[in-house]
Amino acid sequence: MNASLLSQSIASGILVGGLYALMALGMSLNWGVLKIINLAHFSFILLSAYVTYQLASVYGWDPFLAIIVTVPLFGLGGMALQWAFERFRISEFESLLLTFGLFIIFESLATSVWSADFRRIDSAANPYASSSITIGSISLSIPTLSAFVLAIGIAFGTRYLLDQTHFGRAVRALAHDREIAGAFGVDHRKVSMQLAGLAGAYAALAGVFIAMSSSLFPGIAVEWFGIVFSVVILGGLGSTMGTLLAGVIIGTVGAIATVVWGPSTAPLVVFLILIATLLFKPDGLLGAKGGV
Amino acid sequence: MRTTERTRFGLVLMIVMAMILAACGEDSSDTTEAADDEPTATTAAPADDTPSEDTTEDTTAATEAPSGDPIVIGSTLALTGFLSPTAAIHRVAGELFVEQLNESGGLLGRPVEWLVLDDESAPDQAAALYERLITEDEVDLIIGPYGTGTITAGMAVAQRYGYVFPQHTGSLTYAFNYECQFPAWPTGRYPNLTNPNLVYDALESTGTPPETIGFVINQFPGTVFVAEGYADGEGDDLTGAVQIAEERGYEVVLNVQFPSNISDWGPIAAQVRDADPDFLYVGALGVDGPNLIAAMDALDYRPAGMFFQWPAPGPLLGANAEGAMSVTAFEAHPPFTDNAEYAAVAEAFSEAAAEAGIPYTAMETQASASWAAWEILINGVEGAGSLDNGEICDYLVNNEIETIFGGVDFDADQSNYYGDLSFVKQIQDGDWWVVYPEEFAAPGRTMQYSPEG
Repeated sequence: MNASLLSQSIASGILVGGLYALMALGMSLNWGVLKIINLAHFSFILLSAYVTYQLASVYGWDPFLAIIVTVPLFGLGGMALQWAFERFRISEFESLLLTFGLFIIFESLATSVWSADFRRIDSAANPYASSSITIGSISLSIPTLSAFVLAIGIAFGTRYLLDQTHFGRAVRALAHDREIAGAFGVDHRKVSMQLAGLAGAYAALAGVFIAMSSSLFPGIAVEWFGIVFSVVILGGLGSTMGTLLAGVIIGTVGAIATVVWGPSTAPLVVFLILIATLLFKPDGLLGAKGGV
Repeated sequence: MRTTERTRFGLVLMIVMAMILAACGEDSSDTTEAADDEPTATTAAPADDTPSEDTTEDTTAATEAPSGDPIVIGSTLALTGFLSPTAAIHRVAGELFVEQLNESGGLLGRPVEWLVLDDESAPDQAAALYERLITEDEVDLIIGPYGTGTITAGMAVAQRYGYVFPQHTGSLTYAFNYECQFPAWPTGRYPNLTNPNLVYDALESTGTPPETIGFVINQFPGTVFVAEGYADGEGDDLTGAVQIAEERGYEVVLNVQFPSNISDWGPIAAQVRDADPDFLYVGALGVDGPNLIAAMDALDYRPAGMFFQWPAPGPLLGANAEGAMSVTAFEAHPPFTDNAEYAAVAEAFSEAAAEAGIPYTAMETQASASWAAWEILINGVEGAGSLDNGEICDYLVNNEIETIFGGVDFDADQSNYYGDLSFVKQIQDGDWWVVYPEEFAAPGRTMQYSPEG
């Protein structure tokens, strides 16, 4: 194996790791702060990808512009779901069952609207899929590069939001003790809905980039479970920077394993790292301080 | 207390609603009667340019409507799960076939019902459901599902009960040795030999064959079998596309296998670019092809020629994959549509597929194999004049059966396989065309390949 192949693979892995992080950020916030294991998050990513496909393939939109539709749409979707969770006082375990049901419903919805067949934005409507920036012998794909840059921005932005703003303090108080936070005047319903809206928006962004870079079919969302849960757990629940780091590590390690030992070893190596992390750093890569 | 009760009530209500909606959302409920006994206007009207239009109308008018208890044909299909995109094609083809069958007098004068159960793309589920179809639903006949795993599972049940088992597109030809299984997909018993040789012959027919070749193979058993043979087998099972390429003097510069659920194609694309083969042989399923092409495009790289084993044809067209090749058994263009009956079938399928929301509506390998499986079963019953599975099996083994692929003579010595009727197709001017062998090429189309690209 030559250096060019290895460096290209590492670069691809880092970029795709950004996309993994983008997919996992909302899930991490939901789970770490709101104590909701929201499997419907995967549905939001899937539906956002399909909406992007629809806007680009049928209405001729630039795929990037789909963001102006999907982000508010799924942000509101996240808020609506959180309202229901609050209204019915859903516990962490109940949320897993309930959102699994929602996941099935949304998958069925996608099947009804777009059929179970494979969909992909035609190259004519999505020139970004085949576009890249070349630095020396390394080519960086535009969709994954964009997702990576956005993931960095979102991770840092969310960290700033949580650390430096009144909203962030309310979120952190909520994460530590909902009752006490309420006693100190934190409107937990409002704050929870805002945070869930943010998580929904992140899912929408991930969906846009997935539509730009890969083929879609309703069952694809199930294939994301392993990677996204690995990133969330490796990064630490509620840890935005940890999630970003975990995404990049999983993407990079997977890419290196692919070219060194073959593609089928990539999941093995990733899950070995996950097991090791759970054994030695159960709070995630950045430890408890990396969380909310 | 009141709040707790209200919460519980709300939770239960939401779960019940979720279940109801899920059940409604899947238009594949537990059991589906695909047969529609009501005659409809969407019957297979022959294509406008076919000479037999009047004849067909007369025949239809003269056909007596089927009567009596329906003959129930049971099967499973992957109505949900990862195989469902392709299974949807088989569902449309099967529904169309049964509809046309009933409109042309049914089977043995009786109407036909197709009882379809959702195997969820899972072999264990398929086995259990075939058991149920035979023992509880007591169907008269069965037909195979879609997907090699579910076909293999269903076949074991069929064998246990002695049911005839026509199957659409099972790829583990070396494993299917039940004497009453009848493969519809005309790959022959040794697609690991015939398919690669066909492709390499096609490349060499251009006069400028590749000198180097790369292999990127999905670890799905069927694609591995075609690429490298069956390691535990004997004789002709032991070799495949890779070894045949070496025997023909091509230098194999890359041989990578990848798992079916791969999420990052970048590193594989980088390996292809690094190896830079004159020709890339992709043991591809579904959307592996478009995903790999997109990853190679992102590296600003394309090999001079590419072959995809069993791709989803629509998405590959959309991937700007001009020049990409694959194999097929039927395409909706001459000479395959020179037969007026099948031209009409192809047109009717296209309309039905569009109505079902299937994006790529042309009748090709999957739909035609599905059609052939139904033809095998129905011709077997009509030939035997009975619903006795033993008699049907005997008839099918001992007689030539007319199918969309032509006359089929099942060879019991080859596990009922009957030769490879595959053709090489290629994307040219934004559509799929058969280009090799020459006598089956679409009018005006020839194989296009050069190692220079």
